[in-house]
Amino acid sequence: MADDPTRTSAPIHDVVMIGAGPAALSAAIYTTREDIDTVLYERGVVGGLAAVTDWIDNYPGFPQGISGLEYADKLREQAERFGAQIELGEVMRIQANVKGITDEGKYKRLETTDGEVLAKAVLIATGSDYKKIGVPGEQEFYAHGVHYCATCDGAFYRDKRLVVVGGGNSAVQEAMFLTKFATHIDLLVRSDHMRASEILQQELKEKHVDKITVHFNTTTDEIVGADGKVQKVIGANKTTGEKVEFETDGVFIFVGLKPNTEFLAGTDIELDEIGLIKAKDNLETSVPGVFVAGDVRSGATMQIASATGDGATAALYIREYLDGHSRQFGE
Amino acid sequence: MVKSITIFTTNTCAYCAMVKKWLDKKGLGYEVVNLDEKPERQAEALALSGALTVPVTVVTKHDDSKEVVVGFNLAKLAPAVA
Ligand SMILES: Cc1cc2nc3c(=O)[nH]c(=O)nc-3n(C[C@H](O)[C@H](O)[C@H](O)COP(=O)(O)OP(=O)(O)OC[C@H]3O[C@@H](n4cnc5c(N)ncnc54)[C@H](O)[C@@H]3O)c2cc1C
Repeated sequence: MADDPTRTSAPIHDVVMIGAGPAALSAAIYTTREDIDTVLYERGVVGGLAAVTDWIDNYPGFPQGISGLEYADKLREQAERFGAQIELGEVMRIQANVKGITDEGKYKRLETTDGEVLAKAVLIATGSDYKKIGVPGEQEFYAHGVHYCATCDGAFYRDKRLVVVGGGNSAVQEAMFLTKFATHIDLLVRSDHMRASEILQQELKEKHVDKITVHFNTTTDEIVGADGKVQKVIGANKTTGEKVEFETDGVFIFVGLKPNTEFLAGTDIELDEIGLIKAKDNLETSVPGVFVAGDVRSGATMQIASATGDGATAALYIREYLDGHSRQFGE
Repeated sequence: MVKSITIFTTNTCAYCAMVKKWLDKKGLGYEVVNLDEKPERQAEALALSGALTVPVTVVTKHDDSKEVVVGFNLAKLAPAVA
């Protein structure tokens, strides 16, 4: 039989959302407008990855583009206008379905760094974090020459040389942003081509050729420095097998993203082979009452517009779920 | 007791906005040193924090002792301003 939730002083909400990126904030705009009691738990920055993005050019409705920070602020303002409380804490693990959802009864129980919380429905919108490359020097020089956020740390590289590692959208976009500060950037791309979109590659060629040198087929094997300062990156040319070295004052790493789903280990929430959460057409996971939206959903297209669309869709299906929940439990 | 608070920021730093918003909610005033506008003060931020990152929040107490909080870290910031 389910635990009696009233035996604890854990607060009870209609919906708890994990994360406060574009997906969850969009969902919260919908749920709170309908007076569905909603709480978001966010461990980092409100706005998620969108907030740490320099400039967003492809979000519909902003013909001139919008800075990531301003976009995040507008989303937060809109969610708060309808009443979403954005609490700060990290959801360590979700106990919604440890023994199966019927065993839990009426509520999902979430354990957070701020204590336990109970919810009738849960939305997981935890997105992803930057991957590390795992080479010598990466950990040692973290925040002392090795960085993962250009909008946070780029300003320290005014008139300096930089290495950027990666060949996807983030690497190219962030390298272009870093030209505001750096005198020269070596962009190290592991394969013989870039994964970045055609439009970004075109911009790179047309506007940044004087400052950014792209090195294809180049591995990043070691970050070397002395006295707490990065001095060079050592890699190899995969075609010739030759060792290559790049003198630099700092390294920015954008080699892909890792889904934020570790906290789901031990639950019945089904993940795909790369750790993204599987969902039905109504964005419900394998556990009834637990929904998923945004970048962390298996099959997501990893865009702000699609994350906000997911958020809206999930919110509407959460409302439907809550209607069924009150019919079942009489509240 | 807090005498003054200084935050080293940049124009694009999302975590800086979080620190400012949190201090606003607490009703605490602060001075902002924007390193995009005052790059000459970068060395000062680095000397205080030991890291090439912002935000760096410096809380000066009434006895003139200082506590330095790097990043948006409520576990450190909350006791520092208490
Ligand atoms: C450099 C860069 C540039 C980009 N540029 C663009 C662009 O121009 N256009 C575009 O459409 N998209 C862009 N994207 C992609 C876009 O940022 C994402 O698709 C979007 O932010 C996804 O939203 P989300 O809400 O699903 O996840 P996120 O934005 O990742 O938000 C998830 C939130 O959940 C929080 N969280 C995670 N785990 C927990 C936990 N256990 N407890 C509490 N909180 C937790 C995180 O801290 C985070 O704030 C870019 C991404 C990057 C990295």
